[in-house]
Amino acid sequence: MRMLWLGLIALCSAGALSPAQAGTMFLGGYPSQLMVIDEGKGAVTQEVDLKTGLPMSMRLSDDQKLLYATTITTSGIEVMDVATRKIVNSFSLNTPATHYRFTGGVPDRTGRYFYILGTKIDKGVDSYRVSKQQFMVVDLQEKKVVRTAELEPDDQKFSYRGVLMLSPDGKTLYAFRDKIIVVNTADLKTVDHFDLAKPDFPGMQDVSFGGGVGRLQKPGQFVSLFETQDPYIQNKVFGIARLDLDTRQFTFTPIGPSPKALSGLEVSPDGKSGYTVAINGDLGNQRCEFWSFDLDKNKALEKSEFQCRRRFYFGISGNGRKLYIYGAGFDVAVYDAKTLKPEADWQLTHDTTISGMVIIQ
Amino acid sequence: MKHLRPVNRKAERIDQAASMIEEDVVALQQQQPPTPPKPHVPMGCTLSFSPGWEVDAGGGTAGLCQPVERDIYDCYVTCFWPVQVPDHVNYSPDWASNCAIATKDWRKLDLVFP
Repeated sequence: MRMLWLGLIALCSAGALSPAQAGTMFLGGYPSQLMVIDEGKGAVTQEVDLKTGLPMSMRLSDDQKLLYATTITTSGIEVMDVATRKIVNSFSLNTPATHYRFTGGVPDRTGRYFYILGTKIDKGVDSYRVSKQQFMVVDLQEKKVVRTAELEPDDQKFSYRGVLMLSPDGKTLYAFRDKIIVVNTADLKTVDHFDLAKPDFPGMQDVSFGGGVGRLQKPGQFVSLFETQDPYIQNKVFGIARLDLDTRQFTFTPIGPSPKALSGLEVSPDGKSGYTVAINGDLGNQRCEFWSFDLDKNKALEKSEFQCRRRFYFGISGNGRKLYIYGAGFDVAVYDAKTLKPEADWQLTHDTTISGMVIIQ
Repeated sequence: MKHLRPVNRKAERIDQAASMIEEDVVALQQQQPPTPPKPHVPMGCTLSFSPGWEVDAGGGTAGLCQPVERDIYDCYVTCFWPVQVPDHVNYSPDWASNCAIATKDWRKLDLVFP
């Protein structure tokens, strides 16, 4: 009976998204695949094998023609042509004596260079030497790291995990962590810090950080939820920040006191509606809610509790009408973005990795 | 530890790394609120009780990943529970090569002998 019910709601969900509106979703799968999913059908339509191993992050180029995936098994970078689903570049940074650790990166507009943040591990005669955290520039043609620069000592205390963004003119790199680090790409030197932290979401790591793995809503602008904390009573407040990547200016509109944890902001294609997941309580007392926002007025609108998993990721459909909960398993739970109620459960062909979700229309 | 001092370069690097995570002197207003103590959860080759498995970090059993296979792969990759599952990055990159969905195909996981 339960299967029949799930089948019926899956059918209704598929009908709600006509093929013209349906997008194509990419999800990382174990052990070394990218799953291509038709949002209209709610099913995997193609699998792309990654030679360098297990996908840990995905990043769409600004023109949405190339998909960059990083892998952890051999610290690889794979570039897929979105139209043909063919891997057009694939290599590993690791050598027998040197390994790299990084979780994601951002390509420049020329498609020649790929910026990452991570560490380098050199194998010595009697020990492994782990470098400090570095910004690294990978030449995608020469298939190796061509420039590096260590982070400042104060920035070494936080994990190297975090989303990177590049300004459209390619002159400024942003690292979103406990603070926003502003870096000059010419010499990889840190030139500024913004005291805004990405929301703390245990297990979410660096995926789903606004608009689907760092997708820009407008060229040159990054919109997401951020938290800030006053230095006296440490009152954490969350709000919506809009960062102009070229001018390095940001505006922050506070909305209210932070819950225990917030996911990033997922934004509808028209840029008017935003959604996040708020978590209160911990472990057995964990409670999860969808929150919706009016981004024109920077105002919270609705909230609705849902049964959350112990560890999960959050995404939005290409047309902005569905919300997705996925991760720690092989299914995607689908919710209606308007009512915030469950609609369907899509079963995939692989367990999903923590590489996040990329959707194209 | 204050009576110990590094005598070679390797020890100096360890000392530097440790000093980076030590607490600094801060004004009272800048102190973070104290975190409540957590139960001691033993770790061992066969007696491992860890988050997402038998008990969570708070010692509770509610809200765990069910079945446990739903969460097994990210333990494998991020090495958060190094005892219970092989280590993907260093020693056992092929452990899950034949198992796309752990919940359904866990019998296809490779055997690892230490």
